[in-house]
Amino acid sequence: MQRRFSFTRLFSYSFSALAAGTVVAMFVLLILQSLPVWQHEGLSFLTGTKWFYRQQQFGAAPMILGTMITAFTALLLAAPLGIGAAIFTSEFLHPRLRLTVKVVIELLAGVPSVIYGLLGVLFLRNWIYDLLTPFDPLSGDTLLTGAVLLAVMILPTVMTLADDALRGVPVIQRHAARGLGLNSSEVALHIALPQSVRGLLAALLLALGRALGEAIAVFLVVGRQDNQWPYRLLSMQPLIQSGQTITTKLASSETNIAYGYPLHWAAICGLALVLMVMVAGITLISASFSRRHVP
Amino acid sequence: MIKTTFQLLLLTSFTASVVHADTLKINGSTTVNLPAAEAAEILRAEKKMDIQVDIQGGSSGGISMLGEGLVQVGMASKHVNEEDRAKFPKCEFKEIHIGEDAVALIVSADVWEGGVKSITKEQVKGIYEGATTNWKQLGGPDKRIAFFNKEPGRGTWEVFANWVYGDHKKAPQVSFPEVGGNEETRNKVASTRGALSQLSSSWADGKTVFALNIKAESGELIPPTNENIATKKYPLSRPLFLLTNGEPLGEAKTFVDFVLSERGQALVNKHGYLKLADLK
Repeated sequence: MQRRFSFTRLFSYSFSALAAGTVVAMFVLLILQSLPVWQHEGLSFLTGTKWFYRQQQFGAAPMILGTMITAFTALLLAAPLGIGAAIFTSEFLHPRLRLTVKVVIELLAGVPSVIYGLLGVLFLRNWIYDLLTPFDPLSGDTLLTGAVLLAVMILPTVMTLADDALRGVPVIQRHAARGLGLNSSEVALHIALPQSVRGLLAALLLALGRALGEAIAVFLVVGRQDNQWPYRLLSMQPLIQSGQTITTKLASSETNIAYGYPLHWAAICGLALVLMVMVAGITLISASFSRRHVP
Repeated sequence: MIKTTFQLLLLTSFTASVVHADTLKINGSTTVNLPAAEAAEILRAEKKMDIQVDIQGGSSGGISMLGEGLVQVGMASKHVNEEDRAKFPKCEFKEIHIGEDAVALIVSADVWEGGVKSITKEQVKGIYEGATTNWKQLGGPDKRIAFFNKEPGRGTWEVFANWVYGDHKKAPQVSFPEVGGNEETRNKVASTRGALSQLSSSWADGKTVFALNIKAESGELIPPTNENIATKKYPLSRPLFLLTNGEPLGEAKTFVDFVLSERGQALVNKHGYLKLADLK
């Protein structure tokens, strides 16, 4: 069958190709640019705990750990709040009010991250510093400060996506449940929540992806201290110390210094590659969750 | 389809490069930024010049962005060294001396009031290498030293490391929490107990952060006063530069000339640095 020529199709194909091509090109570029460091360090680029660029030692493990600790702690703080708020707006709030609340919260998601960073420097650093006084932290720049700031930043994402997921549960099921004598809390807890688990997980994973990739806000409050590898892996101690994440390293002056030194530059590109893989992985998983969830 | 995509790409990249072609772009050291940004403001108002001043990456950011041709004027609080020149062979770095500044070692109020008012080079070395970790060891309060190290690549850091180790390349690699611009450094030292950092002396306000005297081997205390900086008695001083690729031309020349003029030099002085006339 002969298809008619369509500009819409032409443009949607070409722009999709452009988007996909950009992602592929970025991966290829980062892989090529980071080759020297993989040859130099091998797998110890990922497992090494010492990063001293002038001695040409590039171990990214403390930064990978810092990234995971801040992002997961942020998610741990934002998840109950965000999902709780979503249950409230989707199940208990009058629909018109629900929209107002949702718009306000979505506005929060659009605030530039440097603003959050400045608020973090002005207030959060000092609050955390005072709060942690019993543990005698060296300063208010800690992974926990970064995590709390990230939690505030991803909260709107969690809340609004979780709200969408909950609203995706068919009305007819709610009516049926009410007809069987369940009250509205029971409907929320036993009907809406279990039905929307996939959507909720997708919301959390998308928020996690944002937390992993955030740079400037964390940069200002995390301390940017290299080589912070804890004595025991599962201790809480790193949380109340200064640390470094992949993004804060990439935003630091080392990127300027590295330019022109192939190995150092490769190490910086290697960090970018690791971050890309982490974020891409999480985005893919969350996409697979939300795709199978048909409201 | 591929051809269309390619043309679209070409088109977007072309328009992006055409916009703001005649903006004078300046980038570099936060220290030099203070008088430079004010000079830019005056030129914008008086000569309707389109100037954009940025402080990405400090001095080495200024050097590398000038080297890559992303800006027309760089700002630096350190010399352009041989390595920089080798990195950017196409750029003919020209240093234009506009004034002089000192690096102060600043502490938070609790340390200053706790009795630490001066420091020797050996003591600084001890802290930098991790041997000294408590202010008690320097006759101060019983409080851990929260040392914020200036990022590598910053002019401030190089002046500091040149003083302690003779050459900043000989400084050992250490891992302390790092700070970047002057604003961040002052804010973090002021709000942290037991804090120490390196900071442009003009930013040490004596209210929130305090500049330590340097204790010479003779036992003499040397504060970072203008006189001590001019006579080089205070050991941590540094030149401030505007950088251009070859002789400054056009708008860049207008800008450089203004900073070197009497009014421009008054701005250098206003922000706490020594102007060229003071150095003679």
